This record gives sequence, structure tokens and C-alpha cells, in this order.
Amino acid sequence: MRAGEPAPGPPGPALPALAPLALAAGLAPLLLGWIAVAPNRLLSPRPAALAETGPVLLAWALFHAALLALLLAAWRPRPNWLPEGAAVLAILALAATVGLGTAAGLPPGAAAARAAPAAGAWVALLALALATAAASALRGGTPAIPLLAALLGIGALGAAGLLDSLSLVREAQGRAADLRAALAGHLALSAAALLLALLAALPLAALSLSRPRLEAAFLGAASGIQVIPSIALFGLLIAPLAALASAFPGLRAAGLGGIGPAPAVIGIAAYLVLPLGRGVLSGLRVASADLVEAARGQGLSPGQALWQLRLPLGAGVMLGALRLAAVQAIGLATLAALVGGGGLGAVVFQGIGQLASDLILLGVLPILALSLAADAGIALLARVAPGGS
Amino acid sequence: MIAFEGVFHRFGAVQALEDVTFAVPTGTLCVVLGESGSGKSTLLRTVNRLVEPAAGRVLLGGKDVAGADPQALRRGIGYVIQSVGLFPHRSVAGNIATVPRLLGWDRARTEARTDALLEMVGLDPATFRDRRPATLSGGQAQRVGLARALAADPPVLLMDEPFSALDPGTRRGLQAALRRIHAGTGKTILLVTHDLEEALALAGRIAVMAQGRLAAEGTPAAVLGPGAPEPLRRMIRPGTLALHRLAALPAAGAAAEGPAPGAPALPPGATLADALLLMLDRGADRLSFAGNPGRHLGMAAILRAAAP
Repeated sequence: MRAGEPAPGPPGPALPALAPLALAAGLAPLLLGWIAVAPNRLLSPRPAALAETGPVLLAWALFHAALLALLLAAWRPRPNWLPEGAAVLAILALAATVGLGTAAGLPPGAAAARAAPAAGAWVALLALALATAAASALRGGTPAIPLLAALLGIGALGAAGLLDSLSLVREAQGRAADLRAALAGHLALSAAALLLALLAALPLAALSLSRPRLEAAFLGAASGIQVIPSIALFGLLIAPLAALASAFPGLRAAGLGGIGPAPAVIGIAAYLVLPLGRGVLSGLRVASADLVEAARGQGLSPGQALWQLRLPLGAGVMLGALRLAAVQAIGLATLAALVGGGGLGAVVFQGIGQLASDLILLGVLPILALSLAADAGIALLARVAPGGS
Repeated sequence: MIAFEGVFHRFGAVQALEDVTFAVPTGTLCVVLGESGSGKSTLLRTVNRLVEPAAGRVLLGGKDVAGADPQALRRGIGYVIQSVGLFPHRSVAGNIATVPRLLGWDRARTEARTDALLEMVGLDPATFRDRRPATLSGGQAQRVGLARALAADPPVLLMDEPFSALDPGTRRGLQAALRRIHAGTGKTILLVTHDLEEALALAGRIAVMAQGRLAAEGTPAAVLGPGAPEPLRRMIRPGTLALHRLAALPAAGAAAEGPAPGAPALPPGATLADALLLMLDRGADRLSFAGNPGRHLGMAAILRAAAP
């Protein structure tokens, strides 16, 4: 508390959730180490001390100042954006400390030596991510926006060369072309599945609006699919798709086959039909029957009632469903690699096969970024929708 | 003129309308009175084709509505419902402009019309133009609903229990506004209600519906005559039919020439029921008219009017 401020009120509702996380983020690097160094790729890294150079100390001090700010912000009686800002700042300071610390800690000239964040830094990162999410949830906002900001900030630090000494970044630089292709593949898989699900869900939801029996059948079937485990569904699709492709060679030429992206895209889309269909139906019903009847009575055609009434009023609900489906699509697309569909999942599973944690992270981090970007983007879109406020 | 000719309709096993035939003369405010389930709303909705009759014809200005394009038909008929049905994402002005916008009016004409209508329904345009429906009271919302129905100056207004959800004071205020608008514009108005008081306060003619059939139709005093149908008698306290009949007749209509000095004075617009109650209250058998000293009203005239 600065001098001259009024006496602090009762602690804010964020305090019980945020204080332990902030303390954990502060203590973990102290107890479990900031960085770990290995002489080469094959040996396990061992914790190493932070070099006490000027830039490292500056980043270190910034990290602790941000944690203190997080604690103070959590004390405020009304939730606001300050705790999220402090947590994001702490994440960036943490990344900078680790990046600068490894750069100063690696023996010069030892090209085979590898440096990575130690357990303490990882625990601190996890605690701060949880703190960000908790602070967002307490404020009633989506955690995707601050988390995406943190991820973009780390990306900026990387682009500035601050993280170049980390083995993760070196691995990424070595596989840049593969990663770009995997990212593009992942985006294509998710987008294709989302599009396919929309093509199925939109007309079915619109037709179900005034047909209770069709609605029951549609939502029942869409819910039924959710019970099938995703890998099992992809597997189930392989045989019929393979049979189709051999019966109609034209389909195979178009890229459809038992193995590859086709079963993954169809399988993912099948899961998305339920959230999309249900969201579109409830969105269309935000405008009450009375209201639609009043609109008809004024002389609005069914199409005008849809565009001027049902869609603007239901936009918030429908965008919420789209957001859920987009995030789900990006997550499920990870499993496409198991049926030969490619995407970032291939990087993750390759990493698991080689017990290479850096490689796993190189697959997981872009998936996380994509998912956060989709979530934050659609959340921002919903905020400007007329029915959203 | 609105004319119903042998109109039938059924919802599943329920006969909603059975051979309804009557006409509403141009410029008349006709109240369709009935209990819930009597088919009165269904009848109203056949006029703007929200309900299509199974048999029979509904004529509007001599033309069968079944031959009109439904959307064009509805844009030419004002429609007010109990739940008001204002679009929550549009301002008051945006709501009133619904039909003018559908008709493609230009902006200046629409804005001028919106402000004039707000004045007409008793809302200050500067205060209410940009408000959202959620910020209005029930009475204010229904005033906006009435303005919306009048927006394109339709010759016919359909009103389905428009004031039933309002508290008594607010309801009387809106009834007064409607009477004023009807007197000022000469619209043909078909208004559905289950409330006899409301019917008496507004109606030029009353159509009584019961179980899908037309039980009676005519001027309020005629409908409430000694031969009043059973469904109508059920709506009033037993034994008060004559008093209700008097409530449907203006006192001025039974006045006689000649002053009545010293007699209690009736306010303008009073009914014969008001006159009788004033006589009972003051122990007088003659009344004068406030603002018209040359005429008076005697007990005998009330007796004659009560037993036609």
C-alpha cells in the first residue's frame, strides 16, 4: 500500500484463489531451480544457478515486483483487470529471466550443451497461468485473452532473441519447416471439420426449429456420438472410408481414403454437430415465440424475422457455441495424427515416441496458441454482436 | 369495413370458430368480448391471416383477405398484442419505424412520423425516442406498441387484449388515449378483451363470442338488453344487467329541455349509470348538466332508458 491511500477495505474475492498461486509462483523457482543445463542432448539436465548479470537481475526483480503487484491487486475489493495484467507481466518476466539466465549460464563455445527451464520455472509458469485464468473467471471474462497476450508476449521475446539459448527454441529453429507444415495441416483439419459440422448443423437446426420430432432425433443422434471415444470413432470410420475409396477411385483421387485426413475430419465434425446444433437452436429461440408472432403481425416475412430478429438476438448464444466448437476442433485435431491425418499431433506423438519433451512442447504450444486465439477471437466478436450485451 | 362471412376454424379436435358472421362498419371501434377459449383472438387473427379460416371469408374493404399477399396485407393493418412484442435490440423510434422501414419510407418522413406518433400516444419524443424497450414501464411499452401499429397510418387496427397485462390505473389511461386516437383518426378498430368494463369504456359495437360462436352483436346497450345472451350474463354480477346497460348509455342522450336550478350537476361524458348513482347519493330525482344549464335529466328518463 502506498502512503496516502485510504485504509484498505476487506480483502477482495480474488484473494483466496490468487494469493496461494502467487506464493507458489514465487517459491517454486527458489526451491526447485530456475534453469537446468545438460552437457549434450543425451544426458539429463541438472539444475544450474542463475548467472548474476545485470539483465538477469533486472528480469528477476521485475518477476518479483509483478508477483507483489498480483498479490496487492487481488486484495482490491472489486475484481478488475489488474490481477490479470500483473500475472501476464509475471509470466513474461519469468520467461525473460529463464531466457537471459540460460544465455549467461551456458559455457561459451559448447555447442552441444543444452539449457532448459528447471522444474521451478515450469511450476511457476503453471501457477501463473492458473492465476490468470482464475482472475479472468472472477472478473467474468474469458481467460483466453490474457493467456493469448502472455503467449504472444513470449513469442515477441523469442523473436527478439531473448530465448535463443533454450533447447526448445533451438529445436524449433532446427525443425522450422516441419513445424510450419504441421501448423498449416492442423489449421486445415480444424477448419475443414468446423465447416463440415456447420454444413450439417445449420440446416438441421433451422429445420428443427418448428419440428419437435426432428429436433429430438437430431439432438439425440448428435448426443449419441459424444459417447463414442474419439479414437474409436476415427478407427470406425477407417473401414467404410477405405471401402468407399476402393469402390469409387475418383474419391481416392480427391484425397478421400481410410487412412489420412478424411476419417479425422469427419470424426471431429461429428463431435462438433452437438454443440453447434444445440447452440444455433437456442440462439434462434432467444427471440420468444410472442416476439416472432408480433413481427409476423407487423408484416415481416419469415426471412426478415430471421435476419432482423432471431439472428441479432441470438448472435451471442450462437457465437458462444461456435467458440466452443472451434476450440474443440483444434483440440481433437491433435488426434488426427493417429489415423495418419497429420497436424501438430504428429509432432506431439513423435516427441512422445522419442521421449523428447522439447518436441512434445513444440507440438503442444502451437495447439494451445491456436485454441486460445480461436477462443479470444470469437469472444471479442461476441462482444460487438447486438445480442451479446 | 371488416366483414366475417360464415367463418369456421378448428385446432385439432377443438372447434375454435363456428359459422361466425358479422360486419364492423368503417370507423367503428368494435370490441370482441369473450372468456378465454371463446375463439375471440382466433377470430381477430383471421383478419391479418395469422390464422387461415377452414371455411368462410373475411373481407377487408370488400376484398377477401385470402387473395392478398400476407406480408403486404399485414403491413396495411396495425396489430397490437398483450405482450407488446417490442424488438428488444431496437430503440423506441426503431420499433415504431418497423413498418415504415418495410415500406421503404425515407428517413426524414419516418423520423417526423415517429415523433408525431409519440406525441399522439402521450410520450415525449425527446425523452423516449432513443430509449430501449427494457427501460420502459408496462404502460409506456404498450403506448409504444400502439404507436408502432399506427406508424404507416393503416385504416384498420387489430388489438388483441392490448391492456390486459396492465394495472387498473394504467389501463384506464391507455383506454382514454385509445378513445382520443379513435375520435381523432376515425380508424376501424377491432379490439379483443375478456373485460366487460373495458368493452363498455371503449366500444361503439360489441360482439360477444362463446365457444367459437357469435352469441350477440350490436351496440353496447342493445347487447346488454333484457335478451342478453347467457355468456354475457356470466361476465357480470347477477342482477346488475340493467346497471351495466345504463353504463353503456351516455347521460346526455336522455336529457330533456329546461333548466334544473339547484339540482346536482353531472360532469361531461357521464353515463346514465353515473347519473343514477348520483341521484341515489344525493337523494335527488333531477340532475343538471355541468356546462349546459339549459338541459336537465329526470329519474323517469333513466327508467325509460333502462327498459327499452
